Parts: sequence; C-alpha cells; structure tokens
Amino acid sequence: MMRQRPRRADWLVTALLALGTVVWLLAVEGRQGIGRDEAQYMRAGERYWGWFSELGDNLAHGHPGRSFTPSDIDRYWSDNAPDHPVVMKALYGLSWRAFHSCTCMGATHGYHPVPVPARHTTLPLFSRDSTAFRFPAILFAALLVGLVYRFARGWLSRAPSAVAAVLTLAQPHFFFHAQIACFDAPIVTMAFAVGFGYWKSLRDPRWGIATGALFGVALGVKHNAWLVPFFLVAHYLWMRRGDLRARRLTPIPLVFVSMLVLGPLIFFAHWPWLWVAPAARTRAYVLRHLEHEHYNFEYLGYNFNQPPTTTAMKWLRATAPFVETGFTVPVTTLALAAIGAGVLARRRRGSPVDPDSEQKEAPTAARPSWLRPGADVDRAPGAFVLFQTLGPMAVLAVPSTPIFGGVKHFLAAMPYLALMAGIGLGAIGRALRAALPEARARWRPIAPLALAFLVCLPALVETRRSHPDGLGHYNLLAGGFAGGASLGMNRQFWGYSVLPMLPDLDRRVPENRRLYWHDTLSDAISMYKRDGRLSLEVGDTGFGEEGIKRSEIGILFYEKHWAKYEAWFWQYYGTTRPIGVRAREGVPMVTLYERGAR
Amino acid sequence: MTIGAGRRHLMLGAAVVVSLLAVVETTVALVAPFRAPTDADWAAAAAAVRARFRPGDLIVAAPAWADPILRVQLGDLIPPEIAARMDDDRFARVWEVSQRGARAPAAAGGTTTVDERFGRLRVRLIERPAELVSYDFVAHWADARVSRRNAAGVMVDCARSGERFLCPPPGNSSLQRQLVEVDQKLRQALLTEPIAGAAVVIEFPAVPLGRVLAIATGLHDTWMRKAARGTVEARLTVGDQTTELPVTSDDTGWTRTRIDTGARAGQTVPVTLELTSAAPSDRFFAFAAEARR
Repeated sequence: MMRQRPRRADWLVTALLALGTVVWLLAVEGRQGIGRDEAQYMRAGERYWGWFSELGDNLAHGHPGRSFTPSDIDRYWSDNAPDHPVVMKALYGLSWRAFHSCTCMGATHGYHPVPVPARHTTLPLFSRDSTAFRFPAILFAALLVGLVYRFARGWLSRAPSAVAAVLTLAQPHFFFHAQIACFDAPIVTMAFAVGFGYWKSLRDPRWGIATGALFGVALGVKHNAWLVPFFLVAHYLWMRRGDLRARRLTPIPLVFVSMLVLGPLIFFAHWPWLWVAPAARTRAYVLRHLEHEHYNFEYLGYNFNQPPTTTAMKWLRATAPFVETGFTVPVTTLALAAIGAGVLARRRRGSPVDPDSEQKEAPTAARPSWLRPGADVDRAPGAFVLFQTLGPMAVLAVPSTPIFGGVKHFLAAMPYLALMAGIGLGAIGRALRAALPEARARWRPIAPLALAFLVCLPALVETRRSHPDGLGHYNLLAGGFAGGASLGMNRQFWGYSVLPMLPDLDRRVPENRRLYWHDTLSDAISMYKRDGRLSLEVGDTGFGEEGIKRSEIGILFYEKHWAKYEAWFWQYYGTTRPIGVRAREGVPMVTLYERGAR
Repeated sequence: MTIGAGRRHLMLGAAVVVSLLAVVETTVALVAPFRAPTDADWAAAAAAVRARFRPGDLIVAAPAWADPILRVQLGDLIPPEIAARMDDDRFARVWEVSQRGARAPAAAGGTTTVDERFGRLRVRLIERPAELVSYDFVAHWADARVSRRNAAGVMVDCARSGERFLCPPPGNSSLQRQLVEVDQKLRQALLTEPIAGAAVVIEFPAVPLGRVLAIATGLHDTWMRKAARGTVEARLTVGDQTTELPVTSDDTGWTRTRIDTGARAGQTVPVTLELTSAAPSDRFFAFAAEARR
C-alpha cells in the first residue's frame, strides 16, 4: 500500500516523530515511579544478561555448551517464568548493561540480582540504572509512532498522518505505559507492526514472509499477540466475502501460513526456558494466562476481583473497555476518530480513503492469488481499522476476562483509534481548504496545518498534565483526576506512585529504618536505592499486617481493596490521622502514617 | 475529486465543533489543576471546624475520596469508632468539608447553621434531630454470651479469652471487636465465623430498648469474599420477637436493618443473634447494632 519510493520528506518526518518521542519520554520518565511488575522485569532482565555474560565467558574458554545445560538455563531464565516471554526483558537487561553509568562496585554492589565481579565498561548514556532499563521500551514507543505515520501516509496526506502519530503517543494512559520497562506499550508496537505487515502482504508477498517473523517477535513480547491473528482473519474473511457469495474457496494467504510457521518457531527459539521441557513449559505458560487470576480493579465504584455473577454486573462489567476508552482518551481525539469512522463507513468500494491519496484501493489484478490475496478485491480499509480497534476491546468486554490492567489490556486498539482520528482530520481539513474563497487562496495550505496543530494541543496538554500519574487521569468527559475519583474509576496500581514521596521518606530518620512500603515491591525499593533516590539505610518491614506491626512509619496506596490495610494502621499506630497525603489535583494517591501521630 | 456541498457543509461544521472542543479541552486541562483546594484552604477550613467542634460531632469530607486529606487536618477529632461508624443516624451535628459542589450523604437533611468558604473548600455545619444510643452492642461486646448449638440442640459455651470469645473445637469460631472491611469500607464491628452444621448464638442478656434497634451486617475482607461464595443466615430475637435478617452474601455489602421496638421502649430484654451457614468456609461475618431512643 505504501508508495514504492517513499519521499525523503516522509522519512524525515518519520525520524522527527520518532526522535521527538524518544526525547519527550526520556525527559519525563525519571518522574515515573517503578511498579511491582516493572521492578520484576528489571530484575529478570539483569539476570538474563547474566546468562549472556556467562555464555561469553564459556565461549572464551571453549566450552559454550555449559550455558545450555538445563541447570544453567534455569539459573537465569526461570526468573519471571512462566509469566512472560523474554524479548523485552532481555532487551532491558542488555540496554542496562550497555548504557548504565556503572557504580556497580560501590555501596549498591549487593543490590544486583547476579554477582558483579568487576566494574562494567559501558557507554554511560544514563545516570540512573532504571533509565537504562527503560530505554528499549521508549525506543519501541518511538517505533510505533513512526509506524503509525508510515501506515497513515498510505491513506492520508502528511499533516493528518503526523497528527495520527502524535495522537497515538499523546494519550495519558498509553503515555504512562510507553516509558516503563514493561510489555504493554511494546506489544502495541508489535501488534501494529504485524497489522501493518499483514496489510502490505495483501498485495506484496515479501511482506507475507516478513509478517510471519514479526508475529514471532510479537509472541516473544507478550501473550496479547495470541489475539492478533483473530482480528486479521476477521478482516481477511470480510475482505474476501465475495468468495463466500460465489461459493468458491478463499485462498489461504501466504501471510497466515507464514505466521503459523514462523511465529511458533521464533517464539520457541527466543526463550531458553522453554528449551528444557518444551511441551510442559509451553503448556505452563499458556495456562498461566488462560487461567490468570482476577486481581482487584476499581471500575465505576465497584471492586472487580472475580468474574461477575449477576446479569446486571455482567452488563456493567462488559462496558469497561468502552467506558474506559471514552473516559481516558482525549475527547478531541475521540471526536476526530468518530468523524474518521464515518468517513471510512461512507467510502465507496475501490475508492481511496482520502481522495487526494495516491494509494488506490481498487483491485489491481483480475484473479485471486494466495500470494497477493488483496490484489483482486477492495482491501476494505474500514473493516481493517474496525476489527483492529474493536477486536481488543471486545475481548476485554467479555465479563469473564480479567480487567485488572485497565486500559493497558486493550492498548493495541489505540494506534488505530488515532489513525481514525487522522482520517477524520483529513476529511475536515479538506472541507476547510475547499471552503476558503479564491481571495483567501493563500490560506488554503495553512488552514489545515493550523487545524492539525489545534487538534493535537488538548492531547499534548492532557498528557503533560497527567504525568506521572497517567493511570489516575481521566479526560474532559470524566472530569480529570477528581472526576475519575468521583466516578469510582481506578487511580493506580502496583505501587508506582510513591516516587514523589521518596525525598520526604528519606528525610524521616530514624523512623524510616522501619518503613512499611505497602504495595511497593522490594525490587522497586532496591532500584530506587541503586538509582540514588533513596538512602541505603531505609528499611522495609515486609508485607501485610506483620509489616505494619513492625514499622514506625508506613505508606498506603489508595485502591479500593486496600481498605483493610488502613484499619491495621489505625489499630497498630493508634491513630486515624495520617501525617501526609500525596495527592494529584486534590485526589489522594498515597497516605503516610506515623506510629502514634496525633 | 470533489465533494458535495451538503457533505462539505457537514464537514465544515465538524471542523468548527472540533476546533471549539479542542480549545475548551485545552483550557480546562490548563485550568483544572488550580481548582483543587490548597494546603492553606484545608488548614483554614480545619481551624474553623476545630474552633466550634463539640464532642460527638461528625466530620465528613465531600466527595468521600477527600477523607484522607480531611483526616490529616482533623484526624484527632475523628477516632476509629467515628471514622468506622455503623451509620450516620446518631449524629446531631455534622461538619461537612466539601469541594467542587459535592455533598456528603451523611450531611443530608437538617438545618445548615454554618456555611463558610475557605478558598476552594466550603464548610457547613448541619444540625438535625438524631437518634440517641441507649445501648451500643459493639461497645458492650464483653456483656455477650457466646455459644454454639449443634443440630441435636446441644449447646456448648464459648469462653472469654482475652479480648475475644473462643469456641472449643470443632469449628474454632470466635467473637471479637474489630475494625472490619465490608464493601471496601471500614466499620467498627463484632466479627465472628459461622460453623458447619451448627449455629453460633450470641446473646446480650440485658439490653435497654429504645424506639428502634438498628443492626448492620456484612462479610469482612475483600480476599475472603473473593475466595468463597457461601451465604450467612442470621436471626435476631429481641425479647420474644424474632426477625429474620437479610441473607448476607458477598454482594450484599453493609446491610442495615431497623427493627421497631417502640412498643417496648424503656424495657430491658435479652437480644440474641443466631448465625448459620451451609457453606461457612472463609465467611467472616461482621455486625454492629445499637438500641436507639
């Protein structure tokens, strides 16, 4: 679908968008706390690096086979298994190894998950270890922004394509996930890359092969990749619905064959932990997610931690992905996406998405082919975008599906939502240009650009406003942080939001020697110490009731299901009076208690 | 390619709407952070409340999510038994510290006798007729006699052991006063566990009745509510009058029941709560009750 020889200007815009993404995310990620999951992935990534390091040593000593024994593989790769495959974690570990500023033989020497025998020689791009870990995730976000622009350019002119790319990043909840060393944003990148490749494969067999490889990488990023083929098949069947009407066999396209073959091969090849017992461990991994626990999550005032049992609650629960989208994506973006959806729905078969586009959707061949299955038909861009947008949301609308991650579970829909916004902008931009009278002809190129800038503004401002508490941020419709809290929407999870309190906690000597950290995992505390953001003497009294009993000061993250923990503070500290509350726009995020405070 | 005039006008209208929306959304996003109350607002509002506070007053935040910040300022006036109260009906004076036009359910009704603004905060004092408590079952937990009755009707007493009653095996049920979490809210309550094939019987031998006996029930602990689905059946006998209370399940939250005792107001009678459950595993039954004049 892309032009055969993309113009140099497009590569420049792509590069600028990607670079802008990297600069923006690197500029702000330091204010973003480290959640429970991210801390584990950092730990696992460093441990995986340990395996590569040992492999290097074994190679140097002429016995590389030692690195491939079951015990050696498990020593490193069983960390965070069978939870998640290792593409991103390995990249996080490698990035840390390459780019951190090594003080590894100093006071934090003992804080590493694998022994550090000597000072590392690195390219010290980052002063904090955590930034070095996060860098690959940030690069993946930049890649996504670039991909969205490139994809959109197949359908749209430059300005709306760039807007689609910007609006992909400028969503508070996506932005939150885009800068942390987790998988939720990277899998969006890979899911979009697979969709992009699939689209191109419909008329170019080279992309059929490449998309299989991309799918294999996606499988290695996160299990959400399992769903991607379903959405693509749905589009494919719709695109080729004429075969059904004509009662002829639909060609099985190269791209699906490639995904079926290369996907599992690459997935298996990339994860050493599987090599030890392929069938049993693959099964353990699959079951881990098919039978995943329902963690607690607040939605419209209810705490969901298991599938709802009543009809009313099932219906309420089914609305979650749609209401969460409606309350978290900037409203201007949603409005543009709605216009874009209308444009796609009204498009005549064979017509381009944008009348000014060079890309034609009309058939280019007379007969179907498994190598070019989209050449003899209209490729149905509207259905493509629809399935990729609604597919991930529909899965999360099933009441028995866990929703503990909120928007992150269906983030894969967001680039397509932004793409629709770009299509909407293109349509109203054309109308604006055409409406300018001849006397104002010189404004014709400028007016759509001004409009493009204007529609990006709220998304950029909202995203900036949300940071570093993107999970607690809600849009104009919901009423921001306060509106979201009043609606009973989730504010946070997994203890990331303590970071702005660290200087205060650090100052509270000697009480902080016995500090109860609540939902902040010990791995996160270690990373804060490695980053130099917390004194090494600050203690951790452990988890749960016993941790509070042992502590002198303690924090409590506001989430609905943690209420019981506040009771323990009142009971063991002898007071209901916190000594401080970390709030965003007046909405409590973290409460700080001190024993005996009056 | 050209587009029709009608569609062009529609798109032009859309351009205007989207542009206005973008301006409004940007403006709100820039302004909203300044709508939150400042520390100075909270300090001033707290000083105003503190100056006229009387023991027995209730202080609440509106919206309720601001409660932790309220307690930073005035937590010394909100002890656990008030913060985790059974309900609001016994408070004649309610201080409401509100923001963004919110109203606290606890401050509904009555007459507003103080209404002042402190920056982004508004302080109201609501005065209203209230029910006086003649007997608080939670406070008088030590008066209780706790026993277990099996299917054959054999009663086994549960002995007082420190700060709780403990039933002998099998079952190991207990009764204790505890801050419990029901429906993700804290309550000062009595906590017990039903037993398989038997009834837990909790008797308060001498309760001075008022016009009404209010009782609230629920299941404690989010994780226990997640772990099991069994229900608890409860029967309350006031003197010789028995009332079946609503069945308590994972989904019923903190359910209040009011029993009219007006005909026997002033009398002192035994009050007995009897609990049974066909599936008692992980059922932590919490209740609070008050006889009120």
